[in-house]
Amino acid sequence: MEAEIKNENVSNSVLEADGIYFSYDNGYDVFENINIRADSGKFIAIIGPSGIGKSTLLRIIGGFLKPDKGIVKLMGKTLHEPTPEVALIHQSIVTFPWMDAQENVMLSMKAKDMSRDEMESKAKEALSRVGLDGFEDLYPKEMSGGMRQRVAIARAFAADPYVFLMDEPFAHLDELTAEGLRQDIYNILFSGETPLKSVIMVSHNLTEVLELADEIYILNNIPATVVGKVEVTMPRPRNPRSDNFNANLDALYSYLTPPRKKK
Amino acid sequence: MAAIILITLAVLATVARVIGLIILSIIAGWFLAYASIKSKFFENIYIILIEIFESVPVITFFPIVLIIFITRIGGPLGVELAADFLVFTAVVWNIWMGEYQAFKTVPREMVEVVENSRFGLFAKLRYLYIPFSVPRITANLFPSISDGFFYITVSEVFEVGVHTYQTFGIGSVLDTFVADGQLFNIEMALLIMGIAIVAIIVVLREFSKYAVGRYTLDTDAPVMKRGRLNIRETARVFAVLSKNPLTRLARYYKYREADKHEETYEKKEKKRKIYKYIYAAIGIIILAAVLYGAVSLITSVKLSEWGVLIGKTPSLLTGLGYDYIRVGTILVISMAIAIFLGYYLAVNRRAEKYWIPIIQSLSAYPAPIYFPFLFILTEPFIFGIFGVFTNELYVLSLGFISTFYYVFYSFWMGVKAMPSEYWEVTRNLKLGYFKKMRKVVIPSTFPYLISGISSTINSAWGGLMIGEYWPDIYGTHSLTVHAGLMKTIDIATATGDIALAAWGSLIFGIIVAVYSVLFTRKMMDLAQKKYVAEEGVYSA
Ligand SMILES: Nc1ncnc2c1ncn2[C@@H]1O[C@H](COP(=O)(O)OP(=O)(O)O)[C@@H](O)[C@H]1O
Ligand SMILES: [Mg+2]
Repeated sequence: MEAEIKNENVSNSVLEADGIYFSYDNGYDVFENINIRADSGKFIAIIGPSGIGKSTLLRIIGGFLKPDKGIVKLMGKTLHEPTPEVALIHQSIVTFPWMDAQENVMLSMKAKDMSRDEMESKAKEALSRVGLDGFEDLYPKEMSGGMRQRVAIARAFAADPYVFLMDEPFAHLDELTAEGLRQDIYNILFSGETPLKSVIMVSHNLTEVLELADEIYILNNIPATVVGKVEVTMPRPRNPRSDNFNANLDALYSYLTPPRKKK
Repeated sequence: MAAIILITLAVLATVARVIGLIILSIIAGWFLAYASIKSKFFENIYIILIEIFESVPVITFFPIVLIIFITRIGGPLGVELAADFLVFTAVVWNIWMGEYQAFKTVPREMVEVVENSRFGLFAKLRYLYIPFSVPRITANLFPSISDGFFYITVSEVFEVGVHTYQTFGIGSVLDTFVADGQLFNIEMALLIMGIAIVAIIVVLREFSKYAVGRYTLDTDAPVMKRGRLNIRETARVFAVLSKNPLTRLARYYKYREADKHEETYEKKEKKRKIYKYIYAAIGIIILAAVLYGAVSLITSVKLSEWGVLIGKTPSLLTGLGYDYIRVGTILVISMAIAIFLGYYLAVNRRAEKYWIPIIQSLSAYPAPIYFPFLFILTEPFIFGIFGVFTNELYVLSLGFISTFYYVFYSFWMGVKAMPSEYWEVTRNLKLGYFKKMRKVVIPSTFPYLISGISSTINSAWGGLMIGEYWPDIYGTHSLTVHAGLMKTIDIATATGDIALAAWGSLIFGIIVAVYSVLFTRKMMDLAQKKYVAEEGVYSA
C-alpha cells in the first residue's frame, strides 16, 4: 500500500496540456505555447481578460477542439476526443428544457452500460450533493439560474469524472447565489466521495479565484501565453475581507494589464 | 347512412395520407439534417436540391411523375404512390428546411454536453437534436398541412389519355358524387371534411402551445450559434423561395439572429474562393443532371415530334405570358386585402383571437374541393354580369383562394413584429391612417411582404394548374380559359400527349427557377438593405 501511494506521488499529474498552439481558421492566433498542469487534489484556476482565449483553452483541454501543436494528456495518456472522465461545465448554463432535473442529470450516464435504476439512484445522489434534494421533478423553466447551474454540476458529477473543467460557472448568477454556490463547491468537489481528482476553473473574477484555487495561471497577450503562475497558500476557509486576502488580490491585479499584441 | 360511413372513411384515408406523409417527411428530415451538419459536402448538395425543388411548383411535373409511377409500378399501388408522391412534394421542403435549420442552430454548448458523454447517433438525435427541432417543426406544420390538402383532389383522381386513375380518399369519393349529382352526399362530404380540418387545426394549435412551452430554450440559455447556416446567405435565400410565410419568417429571423452573434466557434473556411468553385461545380452538376433527365425524356420521344414541340414553343411562351398576368393580378388583389385585413387584425387583439384560427382552418380546407360548389352557386349570376370573362374570373378567384392566406400571414406577422417605438412615433406625429401605412407600416414590414409575395406567386401556380382547365367541374360544365401554359399542360396530360406536357413543364420550370433566383432574391436584398428595422418579437 505504502509503495503505491508513493508511486502516485512521483507522477501526480492528472491532466496536462503541453506546448499548446492554436489558431482559429480565420487566422486568428489564440495561443502560443501554453503549458498547464493539474495535479491530483489541486484546484487550478485560469484567469485572464475577456476574449483572451480562456473558453477556447478549456475546450482544447477537454478534447473538444484540436490544438494545432502540442498535446493534452489525461493520466499520462493522450486525449484525442471528449470523454466522460473530463467533464466540462459551461459558462452559459446548459440544461435541457425538455427534461426534468433528474433526467438532465441522467443524461451523462445514458451512454454508459447502466440499468435505469442505477442511473436514477445515482442521479438522486448527485442532485442531493449539490443541494437539490426533493427537486428531482422540476423542469429547468421552473428553476432559478442558481438551481439550474447546480443541475449542470450534478450532471457532470454523475459521470464520475476525474477532472472538472469549469468555464466561469458563476458568471450568470447573481452575486448572492454565486457566493452560496462557491462556498459549497469546494467542499463538494473534494469531499473524497467521488473519483474527482482535480478541477480546472476559468474565471475573470479575481476574488472568486483567490477564494478557491491552489494554483492560478494567468493568461495574457495576443496570442495568449501564460504570463504568470501563482501558488495560493492561504489556509482555508479563506475570508475575502481579511487583510491577507486583499494583499494577495492586489498582487494578482498587477498581472492583469490590458493584453499587448506581440509581433 | 352507408354514404356517411363511406365519406368518413374517405376523409380518414385522406387525412391519414397527408399526416402520414408529413410524419414520413419529418422522420426522414431528421436523418438528412443530421447528415448535413456532419458533412459539408452532403449539406451543399442537399441544400441546393431543396432550393431548386422548392422554387418550382412540383405539380407541373406531376404528369411525368405519374407516368413513371403508373408504367413502372402500375396497378393500384402505382396510383397510390403517385398520389403520395405529389402530396409528399407539397409538404416536404418546408419541413426539411426547418429541421435543417433547427439542427444547425443547436447551441454548441448542448452539443458539447452530449459529446462529453460520448453519445452515439441515435442517442444524440433522441435526447438533443429531435427535441430541439420540435418548435420549428410545429411552426411548419400549419402551412404543410394546408399545402398537403390542397392537392388531394388532383392527386386522388387524375386522367391520362383515356384512362382515369383513382385512389380511395375524399377527393375521389367526392368526384363520384359530383359525377352522379348526389347533392346531399356532396354536402355531407364537405361538412365532414370541414370537421376533420377544424379538429386538426385545434389539435395543432394546442400542440404548438405545448411545444413552445416545453421545447424552446430558456431565455438565458446559450445564444451562441454553432456557426452560420451554410451556403452564401442560405437562410435568406430559402426564406424567399420557401412556400410558406411562417417558415420563411422563421428563417429570415434566424438569419438576422445569426448575424448578430459574430462569436461563433465553428472553424471558418479559409478558402472561401474554393468553396465558391465547389458550390458552382455542384450547381452545374445538378443542373446538368436535370437537363440530362429532361433532354433524355424529350429525345425518347420520336424525332418527328421534336419539330412539333419546337413549333409549339412560341405559343407555350405566350401562354406563360398570360399566366404571369394572371399571377400578377392575383398578387395585387391578395396584397391589397392582406394589407388592410392584416393590419386590422394585428392591432385588434380581440378580433385577432377569433380570426386567426378561422383563417388557419380556412387555409387548410382544400380550395379545389369546395370550389366547384361555389361555381355552381354563383355561375349563372356572375355570367349575367361578366359574360365572356366569367371563366377568367373564376380562375383568378381559385388562384386567389389558394394563395391569399400566405401573403396575409406574412404581412400580419410583419405588423406584429414591428418595434413598439414605431407605434409611439406614429402617435407622436399624429399621422393619419394612410400616411401611417405609407410611411411606417409598409416600409417596416417590407421584407415580410416580399416573402409573402414570393410564396403567393408559387402557390398561385398551383391554383392556375387546377383552374385553367377543369373539365366537367359540375355536370357538363367545364371551366377553361382562353389561353395559358397551365391549360396546355393540363390538356396535354389529359389527352396523353406526354411529350408536350413534359416540354411545357420544362420551359415553365426553367423560367420560374430563373425568376425566383433573379427577381425575388434581388427584392429581398433590397428589402434588407433599405427597410430592415430592428427585428422585434417573433412568434410562431
Ligand atoms: N470560431 C471562432 N473563430 C474565430 N475566432 C474566434 C472563434 N471563437 C472565438 N474566437 C476568438 O478567440 C478569442 C478567444 O475567445 P474565448 O476563448 O471565448 O475567450 P474568453 O473565454 O477568454 O473570453 C476571442 O478573441 C474570440 O473572439
Ligand atoms: Mg469565455
